[in-house]
Amino acid sequence: MYAYDTYDHAMVNARVAEFRDQVDRRMKGELTEEEFRPLRLMNGLYLQLHAYMLRVAIPYGTLSADQMRKLAHVARRYDKGYGHFTTRQNIQYNWPKLSETPDILQELADVEMHAIQTSGNCIRNVTTDQFAGAAADEVADPRPYAELIRQWSTFHPEFSFLPRKFKIAITGAAQDRAAVKWHDIGLVLKKNETGEIGFEVLAGGGMGRTPVIAKSMRDFLPVPDMLSYLEAMLRVYNEQGRRDNKYKARIKILIDAMGIEEYTRQVNAEWEKIRHVPIDVPEKEVARIKAFFAPPPLAVSADDVAEVTELANANFIFKAWLNNNAGAHKVPGHAHVTISLKPHGGIPGDASDAQMDLVADLADAYSQGEIRVSHEQNLILPHVAKKDLPALWAKLDEAGLGTANAGLLTDIIACPGLDYCALANTRSIPIAQSITERFDDLKRLMDIGPLKIKISGCINSCGHHHAGHIGILGVDRRGDENYQLLLGGSGAEDASKAAILGPGFNEVGIVDAVEKVVAVYLGEREDEESFLNAYRRLGPDVFKEAVYGTD
Amino acid sequence: MAKKITGPQLILANRLDDGRAVFLTASGTWSNTAADSAVAENEAELDTLMTVAQAADLANLVVSVTPVAADTSGDAIAPAHIKFAMQARGPSVRADLGYQVSPNWEQ
Ligand code: HEM
Ligand code: SF4
Repeated sequence: MYAYDTYDHAMVNARVAEFRDQVDRRMKGELTEEEFRPLRLMNGLYLQLHAYMLRVAIPYGTLSADQMRKLAHVARRYDKGYGHFTTRQNIQYNWPKLSETPDILQELADVEMHAIQTSGNCIRNVTTDQFAGAAADEVADPRPYAELIRQWSTFHPEFSFLPRKFKIAITGAAQDRAAVKWHDIGLVLKKNETGEIGFEVLAGGGMGRTPVIAKSMRDFLPVPDMLSYLEAMLRVYNEQGRRDNKYKARIKILIDAMGIEEYTRQVNAEWEKIRHVPIDVPEKEVARIKAFFAPPPLAVSADDVAEVTELANANFIFKAWLNNNAGAHKVPGHAHVTISLKPHGGIPGDASDAQMDLVADLADAYSQGEIRVSHEQNLILPHVAKKDLPALWAKLDEAGLGTANAGLLTDIIACPGLDYCALANTRSIPIAQSITERFDDLKRLMDIGPLKIKISGCINSCGHHHAGHIGILGVDRRGDENYQLLLGGSGAEDASKAAILGPGFNEVGIVDAVEKVVAVYLGEREDEESFLNAYRRLGPDVFKEAVYGTD
Repeated sequence: MAKKITGPQLILANRLDDGRAVFLTASGTWSNTAADSAVAENEAELDTLMTVAQAADLANLVVSVTPVAADTSGDAIAPAHIKFAMQARGPSVRADLGYQVSPNWEQ
């Protein structure tokens, strides 16, 4: 893992001291709310419906066990004993006191964490594949590049006041688990014919009220050119992106207006001017950063472990968990394990302080002290020896963390919605709870297979509903909560935009509609066909008919 | 100039220190309970309440002062719109948090 140097420490500590002074002046009335609001937002502090909300960055979703213990401590000491892991691989606390926020930030700084650039029109926390450095199918670990982008973008003077927020995602594997095509910039690590590593560069993706899938603008950018090329991409956007209307200020709108060819031309022209000034980092520094992400010392061992097979044959739930929540690791004899934060009837993405402490202890015992957060709102132990899986599962299951549903219908993404969020039209969490209760049968879920449901409480799309195989969007219908059903989206390498099926439903009707859609799929699927592929083959009409009737 | 209103209104804000939703009462204090709200039946009454509320904003007691439609049909006064009604109750998915527990649940 990356470790702060003295410069990083000094920078983050100075920021905490500065914010402490700002909070103090606000409490005394020396700053008005109007003056203070942008300052608190720069430190990740929002005002929500019931309280303040603090968003803490988890750079590229990687946490040490000690950092997780600190997150648990903050939840216990300053909040109400829980936190919410988000689609941006961050954690949000729902109840911090304004006057205590500087203390929270100081405690976080002690374990090299902060809330900088979690809000505002800057380059936000770079997100990546939750299995980075562990997945068997990756070309290279994307995290050293994500860390370079983090260092380049943090407090970047030119890019601190962009037309709008800016989100970069990076994946090191062809199977896209980071939804890179739904980001302002997506980077896909790949090898060229000579075996050299570089990036496919995509630009102009985004959700919100105008969902757009990013377009490819460069098939192969050599790794050493990454930062100067990003700088050129940001500069063209910063100079030409619209500032008159915040709904038209994202890069997706600029690229739509000028065309990806023209945007690429301008970026390339800008890049020619700057590519030889020292923006890109010398090889020695890249090597230093890469060393922080060196693969852990895992001993190669056999992939077949007798105790694991025996328990799987004896216990269906363990077998399901092994199948759904444990995945292929680079090093034979190991697995990466997804800890589901989606217990049936529970709140997607929430974890209690005790659960966070337990995950930290399990990471120390079984996963080289490393933890990941996924954009699907689960936690991951990236490096587990297969022989340890039975013991690990038993401990997780005892703490309510053993739900065997990773990637299945009940592994639902849901934004906080109207239970917390001041921008919401409707609640999201209760819909997720009702769906998981309706489908509370592991055999049925495994028969249905991979199916991603994603729920947002308003068009801002924090719950990724545009990218859901089944998406649910909350709308305000004359003061009542109403839910639209969307089908056919994907956040993976085959990205697609979900389409609205028809009129919306109330909170019971939407769950019935999901059940009808699933029934159509089960009736119509061919062989091993997934829900998404069946929808793509069948089109919306048969689903529409089942949900709304023929007339 | 008085704001045009179509029905009874109450005044909602967040406490500066902890952000908790609070309601302006007839005596000019802020209550934890929506039922204690002062209700403005017309524009002149709303103006009077807003003047009191904005003074509290300036005195660094509350932020985000918002007049919202009041539902006065039931036993207790409550915000009419679902969004503000949620603010008065606390998160529906955590029955252990919010005004459903007690007016002083946050302590
Ligand atoms: C609760 C406080 C939150 C507020 C005020 C908020 C606000 C917003 C707004 C205004 C947008 C639209 C941006 C645009 O279209 O330009 C947005 C997008 C987004 N937010 Fe949130 N959000 C919140 C919570 C969350 C949470 C909890 C998550 C993760 C679960 C999240 C993840 C995202 C994502 C992934 C997008 C889509 C980005 C895109 O448009 O490409 N947000 N948010
Ligand atoms: S999608 Fe809307 S309701 Fe959900 S968290 Fe984002 S802003 Fe709030």
